[in-house]
Amino acid sequence: MAKNSLFYKIYNAGPLLLLYYLCISEVDTNLEKVFEIFTLNFQIILIYFWVLKKPELMANGHIFLAGLINDVVMGFPLGISSLSYLIIIFVGTYVRNKSVNTTIASDWFTFFMAMIFSNLLFFSLLNNFSDLEFSYSKIGYNMFFTLFMFPIFWLLFNIYQISFIGNRDA
Amino acid sequence: MSVSRDDFSIAFRSALLQRGGAQKFSVLSLIFLALIIFFLDVYGAKFTKPVRGFLNDVVYRITFLASTPTRFFPQVSKDLTKYFNVKAENEKLKAEIEKYKLLELNVEFLSDENKNLQKILETEYFNKNLSNVVLAKVLVDKNSPFLKSIIINKGTRTGILKGMPVTHNNYLVGRIVETNYLSSRVLLLNDLNSRIPVTLDQGAQAILSGGGTNNPTLEYLPEDYKVIEEINVFASGKDGIFSPGAPIGMTNLDGEVDLFVDPNQLSFVTVNLSIQNLGKL
Repeated sequence: MAKNSLFYKIYNAGPLLLLYYLCISEVDTNLEKVFEIFTLNFQIILIYFWVLKKPELMANGHIFLAGLINDVVMGFPLGISSLSYLIIIFVGTYVRNKSVNTTIASDWFTFFMAMIFSNLLFFSLLNNFSDLEFSYSKIGYNMFFTLFMFPIFWLLFNIYQISFIGNRDA
Repeated sequence: MSVSRDDFSIAFRSALLQRGGAQKFSVLSLIFLALIIFFLDVYGAKFTKPVRGFLNDVVYRITFLASTPTRFFPQVSKDLTKYFNVKAENEKLKAEIEKYKLLELNVEFLSDENKNLQKILETEYFNKNLSNVVLAKVLVDKNSPFLKSIIINKGTRTGILKGMPVTHNNYLVGRIVETNYLSSRVLLLNDLNSRIPVTLDQGAQAILSGGGTNNPTLEYLPEDYKVIEEINVFASGKDGIFSPGAPIGMTNLDGEVDLFVDPNQLSFVTVNLSIQNLGKL
């Protein structure tokens, strides 16, 4: 596909538009109605994958802004989701700088590290600087299902990248 | 050894400071910016409250617009189903009207008796002052695993203040926890942060605690009290926020409370402007 074509630009903007849409709309990945404990943080999967594979599609400033929007919609203190997303970017960029060739397994493991650091910061700040209470079991389920679903979304995003964007890996 | 340490520091520094191409800002600068915004918001500098209020109003409106497609399609399918079931529904409604006609006389007598008894108890009938009730539309109902709240389209402009009780068909659904000029956030009864004093059918007092699940639980019940099924739960009004006697739900087999109003299905709610909690929210 020609790099200047409109469709190519739309496909390239797809991941970022999806991130913005997930943050600003009522659409959520909290599927408690389907299965009582099934919740996942889709935003961090999306950010991590694209930062690792095609960082030029996920500008840091946009991710920061999406985090702020997410905070407003969810009622969290401003900046906390941005910080959590920036930690994901940081780990993703570090892994990208250090590795030459990645596999789904290596990405899965490094995603686990990124998620741990990001959630640790998110919940530590929330616990210490806000009145909000949260259930640790819910955090555990959320992290487990986010990690569990990562390879599925990895494959889907990979198919999207190969089909619509090209230039499979860094 | 020193080479690997160099590699580490180069990759680390690069990840933090890298710019160029699509990246106009480095991760480090954005982390600092996010921290500044976070602490300004948490410690509530004078100018941050109106800024946050304005931001909330704008973002909630955009969220409402952005969520229109997700609300439109389920509504269309619901309307179509209703259309095809209209005949059966008509017969059902006729039968119900007959039933209610029979009940009407009974209700009239009971409501008179109830008002008289409430006068004796010196409590306020929660529907007494309808002019102090504001109808609001639910703008955003984003389900989160950590927070159970909704955004409504009325704010301080209509006189809504923090702590005011929110109801749906006279059933209690939550209370206002955040106000902006044109919108407010309602903390639902099933949120982990929600605690309200309640009275049970048999007169026992308890605290209704949200657990982040659909059904809140009863805490601080009298010793040796056994929760059985189908006991009505009402707000006791002891906190000065909720009207005494406002119905909330009914106990189930697990000892939890099935709320009369499904918190995930709210479209319109009412806010009682005459009551405001003066304590810490």
